[in-house]
Amino acid sequence: MTDRRTTDVSLQTDPVIEVYKKDIDRTLLVENLRLTPAARLARLRQFMNSMAELRGASRRPV
Amino acid sequence: MMDFGRLIAVLANHEVEFIVIGGIAAAGHGSARATYDVDVVYGRSGENLGRIVAALDPLHPYLRGAPAGLPFRLDVETLRRGLNFTLATEAGALDLLGEVTGGGGYENLLQHSMETQAFGTKFQMLDLPTLIRIKRAAGRPKDLEAIAELELLLEMQHERE
Repeated sequence: MTDRRTTDVSLQTDPVIEVYKKDIDRTLLVENLRLTPAARLARLRQFMNSMAELRGASRRPV
Repeated sequence: MMDFGRLIAVLANHEVEFIVIGGIAAAGHGSARATYDVDVVYGRSGENLGRIVAALDPLHPYLRGAPAGLPFRLDVETLRRGLNFTLATEAGALDLLGEVTGGGGYENLLQHSMETQAFGTKFQMLDLPTLIRIKRAAGRPKDLEAIAELELLLEMQHERE
């Protein structure tokens, strides 16, 4: 069964994946889709750098 | 320190034939999930293997998870004898994949990739439908949520068209 509305024409709907879709935060996706691919990657890079900094800070003695 | 932008730029600036797949490609298509490595499918020609070695050598690539002191040198012969390599580099984790399940190698995937400009360079990134297809083909339970998100992104893109 192929559902053109919910998936690409060449992708068959998987009922397990459909269940997972219910818990995805669409607001984040809407926000990302407003950006260019370059801006999305820059944002991820910034996020990952912040995570690395946070991880380093948590290892340093107070 | 991990810097996936640096890894991609290094490969692109050495004119390596590669396609970004995995979590970085997902983020490029709008995914909101974090990722901790760079996955690329690379061309297997001898020239390209030489370019990979030249690009990565300054980043001191080593087999990820291998015990320290294990003799390993990423050279053309090593690449030729293997196919998929999970590497640790000074710019972060890099998975060099000669082939992926459900997608094949570089030549097969090139027609399903798109030129992307980021990190001050241009490179090929796998398109969204193919990214979904190879993630589905991998059949890993841990990917289910990521696949669901990618399919939602595809639906949302269709709705916007």
